[in-house]
Amino acid sequence: MRLSVALMLLGGNLAQTSVAPALRIGGVAPDIPLLLTVLLGLRRGPEVGCLFGFAAGLIQDAAGGGVVGAQALTKGLVGFAAGLMGERLWVSNPLVQVPGLVLLTLVEGVLRYGLLRLFHFPAPFGDLMLYVVLPQALYNGFLGAASVLALTVVEFWRESSPWR
Amino acid sequence: MKHRKYALLVSLLLVSLLLLSVRTPGGGGAWPGDLVGALLTPLQVTLAKIQRSALGVWSAYLDWKHVRSENQSLRAEVERLRIQALRVEDAHKENLRLRRLLALRDRLPLSTLAGEVIAKEWGGWVRSLTVNRGRGDRVARLSPVIVPEGLVGRVVEVRAQAAVVQLINDPSSAVAVMVQRTRTAGVAEGEPGGTVRLKFMARAGGGVQVGDLIVTSGLGGLFPKGLPVGRVTAVEDKGSALFHFALLAPVADFARVEEVLLLTGPTGADLFPHFSPGPET
Repeated sequence: MRLSVALMLLGGNLAQTSVAPALRIGGVAPDIPLLLTVLLGLRRGPEVGCLFGFAAGLIQDAAGGGVVGAQALTKGLVGFAAGLMGERLWVSNPLVQVPGLVLLTLVEGVLRYGLLRLFHFPAPFGDLMLYVVLPQALYNGFLGAASVLALTVVEFWRESSPWR
Repeated sequence: MKHRKYALLVSLLLVSLLLLSVRTPGGGGAWPGDLVGALLTPLQVTLAKIQRSALGVWSAYLDWKHVRSENQSLRAEVERLRIQALRVEDAHKENLRLRRLLALRDRLPLSTLAGEVIAKEWGGWVRSLTVNRGRGDRVARLSPVIVPEGLVGRVVEVRAQAAVVQLINDPSSAVAVMVQRTRTAGVAEGEPGGTVRLKFMARAGGGVQVGDLIVTSGLGGLFPKGLPVGRVTAVEDKGSALFHFALLAPVADFARVEEVLLLTGPTGADLFPHFSPGPET
């Protein structure tokens, strides 16, 4: 399990720097590490979610040349929150996962903005929400729905496979 | 156990805050970035190469697909334009033919009726055209049928909305003719091979030469006088003491006739001056 999580962490961050730019729609790219953080948190609990989010955010901060620690903090919090939600909700239901992903992306955006404001981040809150965070949240939701569907298909296939 | 997760959260928050606090504007606190960069950069380089290759292949495929579809659409366009050009050329030729026919109609001192060829019978037994004029148009049997070049034949059968025209090279066709140059009379008969032969031309006249124009003589009252029939292509004297024989090339190209004039009124005038023989355009 640890290996698969580590691979997801590495793969997610690599995908964010290589694949995500190619997936841009109208200048908006998905936040793949955040998507993985939320989905992992919902399924594996707050500890895994928090750790994964922290590590993924830290790598993103370092790789992106931003304020190191900002995304580590926000994604760690989001992973923890997703894990807490997962303990209380029926997380295998896509109707929980996808809106949860959209909501947590919005929360992460607000948190990050608040944190970056401490470092004199200049962008206005409204513009950032309207043109960056909200579209990205919707994109994450869309991508999350596709991922959940793919996971469901894979799980169904594995359960019905005679080789299991 | 229950507080473990909160402990983890608080620890990670503290680490994050620590990282945030060591950040300096001059870049002195950039060691975490360096560390992550050292780990990730080789992987990113490799991945970027793979991505570039994949994108290159995809781009080449898209280009190929685009060129292919463009090629198909251009081929279709060429085909469409070719058909359009053919139509235009066809319409142009038809326009010229109709203009010549109309000019002839206006020149002739008798009533005529324009008709369109709707069928051709080209076998050895019968050589005929069917035109879209019939009883409804008051077409009479044996009406002469002409084109701007000269005589085509005569109506042998009138139907309700069509008429059958016997061509002058039909084996059963015979037309009273004369040499336009010498006015020597004879008969032009069709032959099974599709040729027209000039027969029974008296030797006593001015004779006949290759290239002579043969026109209708008006004898017998069937065809008006002076309609061009053909040109002599060969003179055949088979030892007959009385007559010349010759082969004619009809002035009208029966294979290409599409519009004709049916002469519906009688005339005693010589019509030859109204024709201007020349190659059909």
